[in-house]
Order: sequence, then structure tokens, then C-alpha cells
Amino acid sequence: MTNGHISQEDLTLHAMQALSQKEDAAVRSHLDQCATCRADLAFVVGDLALVALSAERTPLPAGARARFLEIISSTPANASGRALGAAIPIDRNPVRSRAIWIPWVAVAALFVIAILLDVQVQRLDARLKIETERTAQLTATTAHAQEVLDVLTAPTAQRVLLTAPKTPPAPSARAVYLAARGALILEANNLAQVAQDKTYQLWVIPADGSAPIPAGLFRPDAAGNASVVLPPLPVGVAAKAFGVTMEKASGAATPTAPILLAGAVSASGE
Amino acid sequence: MTGAAAASDEALIDRVQSKDENAMGAIFDRYATMVYSVALRVLKEPAQAEDVMQEILLQVWNRPDRFARGRGSLGAWLAVVARNRAIDVLRQRRPTESCDEVVLASATNLASEVEQRAMMEKVRGVMNELPEEQQRSVELAFFEGLSHSEIAARTGDPLGTVKTRIRAALTSLRRGIEA
Repeated sequence: MTNGHISQEDLTLHAMQALSQKEDAAVRSHLDQCATCRADLAFVVGDLALVALSAERTPLPAGARARFLEIISSTPANASGRALGAAIPIDRNPVRSRAIWIPWVAVAALFVIAILLDVQVQRLDARLKIETERTAQLTATTAHAQEVLDVLTAPTAQRVLLTAPKTPPAPSARAVYLAARGALILEANNLAQVAQDKTYQLWVIPADGSAPIPAGLFRPDAAGNASVVLPPLPVGVAAKAFGVTMEKASGAATPTAPILLAGAVSASGE
Repeated sequence: MTGAAAASDEALIDRVQSKDENAMGAIFDRYATMVYSVALRVLKEPAQAEDVMQEILLQVWNRPDRFARGRGSLGAWLAVVARNRAIDVLRQRRPTESCDEVVLASATNLASEVEQRAMMEKVRGVMNELPEEQQRSVELAFFEGLSHSEIAARTGDPLGTVKTRIRAALTSLRRGIEA
């Protein structure tokens, strides 16, 4: 302030909107009451117009005139044209009968706006919850992965190899056969127990393709072991294979499927 | 050119109040380039500058009474309003003042292309004669929309010095134009 009026410097800054909000409010307040400063401000704004005119003239973009004329052609003749931020004229002598609905319209508009805002808030709230849950899941996943990594890479971790426990040993048998003498010895292990009316039966499968020759009945002991020693067999029968079947207790003349144990004679005779 | 082109600004405004599109077209032809150029100088973005130009001239069309006689030269008034609106856009804010608030004392006649160009050359000549720091301070405040404290922070000068420089620059500019 100088002599109760606003300084030219501050008027200039006010005209350029270059004062702080607080300073500008003080200037505006003074201008409302001081015609002298308003006149000074008009001169300052005139000076600013000169500065504006220093801007290099640039041709309008193509079609700008046509676009503008199209806009004004489509503007209703009685449009108020109230732009954003423009001063809203206040009717100092309102006609009540004409304007009595205005507050109700305003209330209705505010009500609608409040509903819309509430819906928007609810949507945002729901979205926030989803995002929060997702973040929590990601955090938990990351923490879990880190924990796994820590355990795997810990130098003090004990490392032990685990395997499946031993399964019951499979039944097997080993036959020793001397064709020239018709002599055969079988030693079987891990055999399943058989019912009273059943028995295991050993068979010699001749190499010449003739019918299997019965080579003795046997039952395992409690430990699943059994043996057949020198059963009565013809002499000089070359064997291709040996087999064991489950038969009725008195035995059978021909093997009954399935063959429970089988072993072919190798080329080397073993 | 139509007959409107030779009419005074006041006569064109009167016709615009009657929604004479030809009169508005004449005002557009007379001032749109200047308004666009000012907005472009501030915004440096053609699309935004055109938006500002259209918005301001549309206000003239919709509310020609805003430019009441006594507000000064229409061209000068439009130039200031264009600058202020462009700064608002630059700062991404709502308009900080109504066009109604802009009153200026200026007899500058800018009604023709020749007069506008002549004035631009004269102003630029005077501006170029200003001390560099004055010229820079005015440009930062006027075209970049910096506050005096922002200018002080940028230049490292005291606030009072910034204020004085800007005022001195404007005074020199007015005297240079009146000379």
C-alpha cells in the first residue's frame, strides 16, 4: 500500500495473477472500494495488452473458422453462454412467483448428486477391498516363497533322502534240471500260502513243443519257502522252460492258467 | 469481405447481440489469429490454444454485453482475456476471474491486420530495448504465469526487485509505444 492505495507494482502483479492468494485477496478487497485503484488497474491492464501483442502471430489451424462458425450456428439464440468461472449475474429483485421452484430444483439436483456420489463411493470402496485382498494374497505368496527359499539355501539344514518302505518280496523259484538224467531240483521262496484244497504244481515245458510234463506238487512252509527234489521225470527230455501253476490239491494233468511263476531256459542252459 | 469488415468493433458487438452470425464472423476474422497467437505463446500446444480461442470468442458470441463500451479496445481486451485464460489452462485450474473483471484503459486500435502487425512490431521493438532482466521477468510472469515469488526463486533475485523490474518494464513499454 502507498498512501492508502495499492502500489503500481502490486496492481501489475494482481493483473497478471502473480500474487499469492492472500495478497490477491487483499488487493481485490481494496479494489472493491477504491475507484482510484480500479482506474489505475485499467491502465496496468492496458499495458499488459501491449505485452500480449508481442506474441508472434501464428496462423490459425486449418478449419478453425469453420469449426467456430459451426459452434455458433448450433448455439441457441437465447443461450446464456455462461462459461466456467464466469460471473453469475444476481437478480437483485427476484420475482418470487417465477423463481420459487429454483430452490426445489437445486435440492433435487443435490439429492441426485448425493446418490451418484454415494454409488461412486461404494464402487470405489468395493474396488479398494478387492485390491486390498489381492495385495494381501500377493504379500502372503511372496512371504511363503521367501521362506521356502530360506529353508532350501540354509547351510545348517539337514538333508535326508527318503524312499518308500520295502515292499513284500516277490515270489521266485530257481530250477536246476539235468535232462540226461531226468533230474530236477526246484527251490522256491516267498510263495503265498494256498488254501487246503489247492496246491502248487511244477511243470517242465519240453523244447520239442510237446505237452507240459507234470513235475511235482508242493506247498510252502510258513515262511513261504518250498522245494521239489528229483520228481519222477522221463529221461532225455530237453526243456524249453519251467512253470508253476495253482492246481487242485490232487494235482492236474495239464496246467491251469494263470502261470504263477515261469522261467525260460537260456541259450547257455542256465 | 462483407460490409461488416469495415464496421467498428462497437457496431459489430451490437449486431452480435442480435445474434448476427456475419458480425461474429467479422470479429473472428479480425481477432481470432491474435487471440490464438497469445494463447499459443503461453500454452505452446496448438490444440489447447485453439480451444482457448474458441472459448473466448464463444463468450463474445454468447455474452456480447460483457464487453461493454468503456472497457477499452476490444482487441486489447481479448488479448488480455486470452492470456489469462491460457494461464488458467496451463495451471490446469478453473478460470480464476470472470471476463467481466477485465477492464482496461487502452486506445490501441487493432481492428485491422495491418494495425495489429504494426503494433506487434512496435511492441517487440520496445521489448527488445528493455534491460534483459526486465524483459525476462515480464515474460516469466506474463507468458509462463509464474508468481513473483516463483520468479524470485528462479532468478535468485529479491521479491522487491522482481516487482520493481516488472513494473518498470511495463512503464517503459507504455512510454515507448506512446513516443
